[in-house]
Amino acid sequence: MSTLAVATGIAGRSLRLIPRVPSTFIPSVVMPIFLTIAFSGPFANLVRLPGFPAEKIIDWIIPMTMIQGGMFAGITTGMGVARDFENGFYDRFLMSPASRMSLLFGPLLAAMLRAFIPFVILLGIAWASGANFYAGLMGIGTLAIAVLGCAVAAGAWAMGLALRFKTFQIAPLMQAGVFLSVFTSTAQMPLDLLTGWVHEVARVNPMTNVLALARQGFLGDVTWGGTWPGLVALTGLIGVLLFFAYRGMQKVIP
Amino acid sequence: MSRVLGQYLALTRRSLFNTLRTPIAIFPIIGFPLLLLSMTSAAMERSTSLPGFPPVDSFLQFMVATTVIQGAMFGAIAGGAGIASDIEGGFFERLIATPVSRTAIIIGRVASVATMAFFQALVFIGVTVIFGMRPEGGVIGTLMVAAIAALTAAGIGSIAVAFGLRTGSTEAVQGSFPLLFAGLFMSSAFFPRTLMTGWFKTVADWNPLSYLIENTRSQIIFGVSWGDFFTALGIAAGILVVGTLFANLALRGRLAEGA
Repeated sequence: MSTLAVATGIAGRSLRLIPRVPSTFIPSVVMPIFLTIAFSGPFANLVRLPGFPAEKIIDWIIPMTMIQGGMFAGITTGMGVARDFENGFYDRFLMSPASRMSLLFGPLLAAMLRAFIPFVILLGIAWASGANFYAGLMGIGTLAIAVLGCAVAAGAWAMGLALRFKTFQIAPLMQAGVFLSVFTSTAQMPLDLLTGWVHEVARVNPMTNVLALARQGFLGDVTWGGTWPGLVALTGLIGVLLFFAYRGMQKVIP
Repeated sequence: MSRVLGQYLALTRRSLFNTLRTPIAIFPIIGFPLLLLSMTSAAMERSTSLPGFPPVDSFLQFMVATTVIQGAMFGAIAGGAGIASDIEGGFFERLIATPVSRTAIIIGRVASVATMAFFQALVFIGVTVIFGMRPEGGVIGTLMVAAIAALTAAGIGSIAVAFGLRTGSTEAVQGSFPLLFAGLFMSSAFFPRTLMTGWFKTVADWNPLSYLIENTRSQIIFGVSWGDFFTALGIAAGILVVGTLFANLALRGRLAEGA
């Protein structure tokens, strides 16, 4: 079988697990919805701060929670790999003549497809909450690139950990990595309004540019100047984390 | 009487040492709330300039009460998970085979989370003082905050223990954590109610956690207030009464099932 066929098969298996074991997928839908309510509710008046770029708090928060949703979806595929190690299923993969690249790219393809579900649901919530889609389809397009790209990056991060530790107990570290990467960026506030160490970290955190890419359609027009830093950051993030996962894969190849 | 008291103390000490002996269990109840506090206070500092924000020196001063209650909740969940772990590991079965007082099983666990929360609160306030936070209530106010934290932990802890006894699963108890977190977010824990609007404000107005945190916070941002202190203690005591009732019912149910 070709690498693509095996990768597609593995991704299909991951998707079929959603109705069979919904508890492994539901958090990636529920958590971003909860975060949307939790952040846009109490912090609605932040938009009154001088220099805050959004007209409504939902415009600022929902691209961030969509990215979180994509990343949670990515993590669930990494958790799936960890579970396969625990119940011995992954050993059967390794004994098969399937290309090792397909074992890497199958779950990442699944991460992207799984991320699409919370993305569509949150898009509906954004529309129902009266978010401003200033840039129309262009804005939704850049948002989709950011969300699906983050799902791949988080999937690679979670797989890298799963391949190294081979246990489901590593799940909290998968989640902590995602949580820290997002909340030490401009998740809550724009860069100019951040203070202290979070400001310094956010300045160099690639997620700041990825969030800018995701948000631009909610704050105004989509421009090349607002797009390319996010694309570069996303490509770099995916590249580094793919290498991390690839090295993990090399460690388990018998 | 002294024999029963000895059992309470022995089971409290066992629960406390079990937590302290596991450094990985310390991080979620002390390290994680401090990390959240550090990130949120740096991110939200500018919001204190919004008209209607309570008069605070910094967002850190505003947030520390939330961190104290949050830490108490995390510890309480760990307490519930602990009793579930005893059931999973077979210790609970051995315990009920002895003539130990049945109430000691609940009280030992609840007292340990309360003790832990009291000292956690002192750690949280101590660390933030190092970073320039000034508790207006001074030492008395700090001790009042720690006392509220202890009673809150006992209340939430008794609910977590009830859940642990009912399910006998550490995963199920830990799975209830997002519910608590949601309750906290739907209150004035992270932002003042004066700056909330719409349905969210209505929910926060009805959420008892808003009043628990606001009356705890007032000891830090305004100074010692016995009225606020007793209001917060009253809310925590209410949670404890309900929680103890549930825990007793859950214990009876488990004993009837033969553990």
